[in-house]
Amino acid sequence: MANTTTVARGGGSSAPGRRRKRPGGPPRASGLPNWAIPYVLLVPGLLVIAGLLLYPMVQLVIISFQKFGIAQIRGKAAEWVGWANFEKVLATEIFWTSLRNTVVFASIAVTLTLVVGTAVGVLLHKLGKKMSLFVVIGCMFAWAIPPVAQAAIWRSLFDADSGIINWALNLLPDWLSQAVFGRADWTGEPWLNDAFTVYVVLVFCVVWAGFPFIAVSVLAGLKGIPNELYEAARVDGSGAWRTFRKITLPLLKPVFAVLTVLSIIWDFKVYTQLHILLNGPTNREAFNLSMYAVAEAFKPPPKMGTGAAISIVLTIILLIITVFYVRQIVKQEEM
Amino acid sequence: MKIAKITAATATTAALALGLAACGSSEPTKTAEPAASGSAAASEAGPKYAGKTLTVWRLGDSNPAAAKYMEELNAEFKKQTGADVKLEWIPWPQVNDKFAAAATGTGPDVTEIGNDQVPLWQSQDALAPITDIAHAGDQAAIPKNLFGLETIDNEVYGLPWGAGARAVLYRADWFKELKIEVPKTWDELVAAAKKIQAKKGADVDGFAFNGGSDANHLLGAFAWAEGGEYAVKEGDKWVGKVSDPTFAKGFETYTSLVTEGLSGKSRLTQNTVDIRKRFANNKVGMYLTAGWDLPGIEVDSKGKLKGDKLAFFPLPAKAGGEAPSFFGGNDIALWGSTQQADLGKEYLKLATSKTWADRYAKEGGLLPIYPDTLAALAEDPVQGPFARAFAKAKAFPADPNWTEANETKAVLQNAARAVIEGKKDTATALADANKEIEEILNQ
Repeated sequence: MANTTTVARGGGSSAPGRRRKRPGGPPRASGLPNWAIPYVLLVPGLLVIAGLLLYPMVQLVIISFQKFGIAQIRGKAAEWVGWANFEKVLATEIFWTSLRNTVVFASIAVTLTLVVGTAVGVLLHKLGKKMSLFVVIGCMFAWAIPPVAQAAIWRSLFDADSGIINWALNLLPDWLSQAVFGRADWTGEPWLNDAFTVYVVLVFCVVWAGFPFIAVSVLAGLKGIPNELYEAARVDGSGAWRTFRKITLPLLKPVFAVLTVLSIIWDFKVYTQLHILLNGPTNREAFNLSMYAVAEAFKPPPKMGTGAAISIVLTIILLIITVFYVRQIVKQEEM
Repeated sequence: MKIAKITAATATTAALALGLAACGSSEPTKTAEPAASGSAAASEAGPKYAGKTLTVWRLGDSNPAAAKYMEELNAEFKKQTGADVKLEWIPWPQVNDKFAAAATGTGPDVTEIGNDQVPLWQSQDALAPITDIAHAGDQAAIPKNLFGLETIDNEVYGLPWGAGARAVLYRADWFKELKIEVPKTWDELVAAAKKIQAKKGADVDGFAFNGGSDANHLLGAFAWAEGGEYAVKEGDKWVGKVSDPTFAKGFETYTSLVTEGLSGKSRLTQNTVDIRKRFANNKVGMYLTAGWDLPGIEVDSKGKLKGDKLAFFPLPAKAGGEAPSFFGGNDIALWGSTQQADLGKEYLKLATSKTWADRYAKEGGLLPIYPDTLAALAEDPVQGPFARAFAKAKAFPADPNWTEANETKAVLQNAARAVIEGKKDTATALADANKEIEEILNQ
């Protein structure tokens, strides 16, 4: 879309050329050809992107093929090692557990965030003005909390000795707790030892902080759907669920497309919350890929080559998923 | 509001710390002594450096005792050389990150550094050799075996400043209240820990398990006590020894802290700083550490835990006797990228001169590096346990890659977690760890 407008603007108006009415000067020397103008206008933006995004990315790729440490940052020539960094990374057990943790966590967290977010978004749409405002403000608080604080909150809730979760689970009637969890005593239950339970807490933490954004975006989308459609559905005798599936969901598809891609990207690279929950990068079984990359690249002795290799693997996985997903959406739109 | 609080807290701490210092066995030197024992060369260089500024990094918290020491040391330095000192404090947990950043850009001129960090940062070209001043002047009296980690390819990269040994810090007030004798054997220690937990609550760690970045200080003490070693260099290759039965015995004592319930199973990744905070909040009865934790405990407990409520005893070995301690120590080194190497060396010489190194140790809760001062401490009630532990101190493998096995990959911490959670048995966990340690050390 953006492309067509630029082309139309550039091709449709020869105004810049016409405005320059310099007497006697040959047009070639004074002005740019019409086709070039949009590109020239794009240059500043491209330069910023190139400087801030492309250059570091190219560097990352280069470093991932080198033995790169502190000495190299200071300007010592780096040694090329070919695919050795990748081979080394792929051969370690930590990489595979990290990959598993990353993928499983992201798929669960993305699904839950989207489901909860959409549900709250629909709820907000249904609520009256005052109540809706009240709920939005409540949600915004969760969203506005910085990641470090989010993790600290959930960490203290799940604390083994003084956390409210173990306290609350102990309050359950014994038969109920026994029936649901197979145990009655939760005193001192260590939630943050085992990779599995750490990720349970992390899912809570990330979904809790992530759903308000989805809810508000969905709400914005819902506001754009003409009310007549819903009235017509009601007249035809459609129930709430059917209306949601047949009207809301298809009309909000572009919104969901963006939200899903964003959520996938965010949840794949969760770092801060995990770092706090794990109390630093010691428990290797609970690493995700970003944590593994950071531990490898920056903890002494810094091995930025292998760290970069891990980042590249993570980026490639993300690219594949995103491209696949976006293509599907585009295909469906065409139909 | 907040600032007022902080100021108040600082003022209180300052007052308390002075009180604590006065409690110490001997009065700290009141005034900076004239440069009698400081190097003569420094005074000759006097006017040469007027107007220059030297950046110095000190590690740890700027607790009042340490701040006062640095102030007086820097004043003396200015008197001798005419140069000013720009002092910065780096908290211990951030040291390696700060060094990594400094190694790539602008660093200090002079920095304090942990002795076991010297091989790593030397291998990253971050330190400058100071061999010419290492064994001259006052420094000639520093025992040569204290230069083990600092000497690499016949060049010295750091001067010992103070030595650190560890002992068990315990709640003397609880011991008195519960009528517990200071443990002489491992069994007595276990019994004491259980008694504390029984009376003070199940969430109190009788003897705290350390599974964080500095876990090997604790694990090492147990393993060395059984005659175990981490790795031994055979030829130019490291051979891992952690799967040996001797090491395994110590490792079992270490994991038994959690499996026997002396320490909570929910705190497998806590390091000394985490334990210290819990200790200050009445949640720990005993743990292995050194004198430098005392000022922090006082601050964290809002001044409640100090003086005779705290005391040390040497860690008893399971096999009998006292367990060897980690041969720790703080060095002072010249940063590789410094533009003022000569001035920096003058600072090193002054700081490690007998007067100032002895004061550094005495006022910072460390052991002095000068043998005669150390010998005088053996009978000291406060420093005695450390001086005795130091006599049989042992070190980790002297290899730049040790930090990776020790902290970054946390090999043995993860092996311990696997054993505690029942995922592996001790033999398998240690065999895997041994292989990994060999790979890391030999890379």
